[in-house]
Amino acid sequence: MVGIDRRLLQNVDWLLLVATGGLLATSAVTLGSLSVGRAGGGLVLRQLAWVGVGALALVVIASVDYRRLVRMAPMLYVLGLVGLVTVFVLGRSVSGARRWILLGPVSVQPSELFKITFVLMIAWWLTSRWAQGLGRVTIGFVIPIMAVPFVLIVKQPDLGTALLLFPVTVALLVGAGVRFRLLGALALAGVGTLPVAWFMMKDYQRERIMVYLDPFRDPLGSAYNVIQAKIAIGSGQLLGKGIAGATQSRLAFLPERHTDFIFAVFAEMWGFVGCLVLLVCYVLLLLRGFDIAAAAREPVGRLVALGATALLGSQVLINVGMVTGLLPVVGIPLPLMSYGGSSMLVSLSALGLLLSVRMRQFQ
Amino acid sequence: MRAGLNGRHTSPDQYEAGRRRVFAVAAVVLGAFLVVIGQLWFLQVLEGGRFLDASDKNRIRIRPVAAPRGILFDRHGVPLVDNRPAFTLSLIPRELERDPDRRAATLGQVAVLLGMPYGDLQDAVARVSSDSFVPVRVRRGLTLTDVAKIEERKLELPGVIVEVEPQRTYPSSRFAAHLLGYVREANDEQLKQGRYRRGDMVGQTGLERLLDEHLRGRDGGERIEVDAMGRPVRLVQQTEPHPGAEVITTIDRRIQEAAEQALEGRAGAIVVMDPRNGDVLAMASAPAFPIDRFTGTIDRDAWLAVVRDPDFPMLNRTLQTQYAPGSVFKIVVTAAGLQEGTLTPLDRIHCGGEFHLGAWTFKDWKEGGHGTVDLHRAMAQSCNIFFYQAGLKVGGAAITKYASAFGFGRITGVDLPSEKPGFLPHPKIKRGRQVWQGGEVVNMSIGQGAVLVTPMQVARFMAAVANGGVLWKPRLVQRVQSADRGILYSDPGQVMGHVDLSPVVWAFLKQSLWSVVNEGGTGAAARIPGLDVAGKTGTAQMIANSKASRGEDHAWFAAFAPSKDPEVVVVVLIERGGKGGQVAAPIARKILNAIFFEKVAAIGLTG
Repeated sequence: MVGIDRRLLQNVDWLLLVATGGLLATSAVTLGSLSVGRAGGGLVLRQLAWVGVGALALVVIASVDYRRLVRMAPMLYVLGLVGLVTVFVLGRSVSGARRWILLGPVSVQPSELFKITFVLMIAWWLTSRWAQGLGRVTIGFVIPIMAVPFVLIVKQPDLGTALLLFPVTVALLVGAGVRFRLLGALALAGVGTLPVAWFMMKDYQRERIMVYLDPFRDPLGSAYNVIQAKIAIGSGQLLGKGIAGATQSRLAFLPERHTDFIFAVFAEMWGFVGCLVLLVCYVLLLLRGFDIAAAAREPVGRLVALGATALLGSQVLINVGMVTGLLPVVGIPLPLMSYGGSSMLVSLSALGLLLSVRMRQFQ
Repeated sequence: MRAGLNGRHTSPDQYEAGRRRVFAVAAVVLGAFLVVIGQLWFLQVLEGGRFLDASDKNRIRIRPVAAPRGILFDRHGVPLVDNRPAFTLSLIPRELERDPDRRAATLGQVAVLLGMPYGDLQDAVARVSSDSFVPVRVRRGLTLTDVAKIEERKLELPGVIVEVEPQRTYPSSRFAAHLLGYVREANDEQLKQGRYRRGDMVGQTGLERLLDEHLRGRDGGERIEVDAMGRPVRLVQQTEPHPGAEVITTIDRRIQEAAEQALEGRAGAIVVMDPRNGDVLAMASAPAFPIDRFTGTIDRDAWLAVVRDPDFPMLNRTLQTQYAPGSVFKIVVTAAGLQEGTLTPLDRIHCGGEFHLGAWTFKDWKEGGHGTVDLHRAMAQSCNIFFYQAGLKVGGAAITKYASAFGFGRITGVDLPSEKPGFLPHPKIKRGRQVWQGGEVVNMSIGQGAVLVTPMQVARFMAAVANGGVLWKPRLVQRVQSADRGILYSDPGQVMGHVDLSPVVWAFLKQSLWSVVNEGGTGAAARIPGLDVAGKTGTAQMIANSKASRGEDHAWFAAFAPSKDPEVVVVVLIERGGKGGQVAAPIARKILNAIFFEKVAAIGLTG
């Protein structure tokens, strides 16, 4: 099944690839513009290297039948959990969080890579023979599948990635046909656990939520990011300040501007119109994903495509939501835009899954 | 195995249901995108302007550049004050550590390094917003050692900077202190008026205060773009400071210095005036306060030492202290008598050293008296007995009328604040008629009793005697000109009044005053060969029970020279100095010498 025959190539989703290419180019330009006239131009090159690695992963994943991957899902899932545990043992600590493992010259973020595994695992479980009927038992088992990695990731701590498991799971449950009443009950149970979550959180995480509710609580401390991001975005106004005029970003008032807050950089440079174009790119990408899911002729393909799309879509929405102040700050990168190898690898892998489903939708 | 993983396709019904489920998720995602776009519309289009301002506020720092204060020059263009660069310790609130403990550590370290109270630093920062980038000046006048200490530890002391500002510097510690006045940071009251910002240097007394608006200039500034760490990235805009205007005074620095030197170690005042136009050539008051220490930071103890000094060094004795004029006032009595016809040069009396009026006995200063004297001799010898009787003949009303015409009893209007008007006695009113009491008139006719004058009034009076009756407003400032030489203010001189006496009377006054110095009179100590000095001594007796009567009488000498065509008036007052002829006259002589005979040498020196 490995190897690409001509029929498969005819079904490649070119629109998806064009939107992806556009976003990657935008990312390179934005990162590059941050380094114009100062050191750190190497960033773009490293990002491009990761795009290369990601593109390779995309091609490999697209060329493999997604059903084979889903069959491997339990094994990958266990491997992923091992990776998450390893972080606690061998992990490199960056500003208080152990999220990275050093593999030779590069550091890898197991929690990022786990996202793909997680989509495959849920898809596998919901379509496996043990889960016939999508009854309470099937749904009940979804909870530990999600809870174990959730706790491990929260403990790193990486709240953003952990929280991402929720929308992905919900999308997959909906896609699998779970009755909405059952989903509603689950949601209520979820809300019931929120106070528990509050006590499990680290101080800084609680502070972030307080700051979300009241940004001027501590304008130079924990709310600094949010305020500076809002200033950057807002000052872009309708048409943006251009690369040279983007003082918030270029003079480093904006923190995390290469990674989680890159959207604010883009918004300052290109304004509302630019943001609209960027978001339309993402919407096109996601609509292709939903279309692939809808067009899938069997449940596994549909779930894998839907899961991959939900993974990308919820990251985009949570990231832009937090940067624009709609959501509390949780560390989630903007897919295909933010600097970061693991994130790039995962996003392109998710697109690889989408392509894989698309190419085989008539098989 | 299950359907999907076996590659089995679903039924059309299941397929449709699956599609609907996917569309449901897609709808939710698209809805969320609309919310995000709505938020962007709000931030960028509706509120964009506000955020643009905020981003400019973020990146632009305004660094004020102090304008050099205008220079005060003497009449020949020699500077009376100058500016030199001085180092000032400032704190930038926004760049200080945010953490209270770490900030306290920074401020504590500064306090230790400079040996200044920690509280001062804390107060300075507490007064302004912690978000402000405008430097708060906490200590002026750092020494080079202090600067080195701070600069060495620059990296450990974020938000602590050393600024360079122009600061006043003086030829000597007490030079013309009362005339110039000191410059200090605006006090709370001045800040309330709203014309000054905190840390602005403001003239507090003297000419510096009077001309502050002109002298201040306009501070310049630099608009600097900085990055998030506060590091300057580029200069956006620069406004050059506009230096303060130059002031050309009427002072002659050489004469001023001579006058101050002559007063060294005494309490007193000297005024030197040009009788031809009222120009004040020198104006010295002693003891003086250390003006250089008052500029910049003065510690509390040093301040209190000056303020509590029993000799009141802050007082400008040329204007702000009133003395009995003593025998100098005899000129007024003579002028009044001759002009009114109640006295003639031919009047003679016998001076036996005592004069009786009712139950009162008035004595002459000379034991045994002067023998038979006429008016001329009475002036030269300053015979009290003669003037007791002359005063009674002339009458209180005429004396005060002429005294008033000569400008006594009201301020001279010189360009300095807090001038005292002096005092002239009034007649008692009895049954609707003005009645002068004999004793009062007798006392007044030798310049004792209630009559009080300031040295500046005496100088103007002597100038009027010298110039034939023109009463000038004493002039201190000739003109104020901007740095590019545009005239901002000019004072052409102002005549305040005329004293109309017949030319014979003027001639008699000048002649008798010449005799005081040159014909064995009381002012012989002021005699200078080769220069016709005219003058009058005065000894203001201290009333025994008065508060100021520590020791001896106040010594006066008022002179002009050359007597034919007077160019200068010199008035010397020495507090508790003793007799005018013995103490004040030699000082006047020194100054006249300096004016007329050391000129050439001085010009050689100053180039």
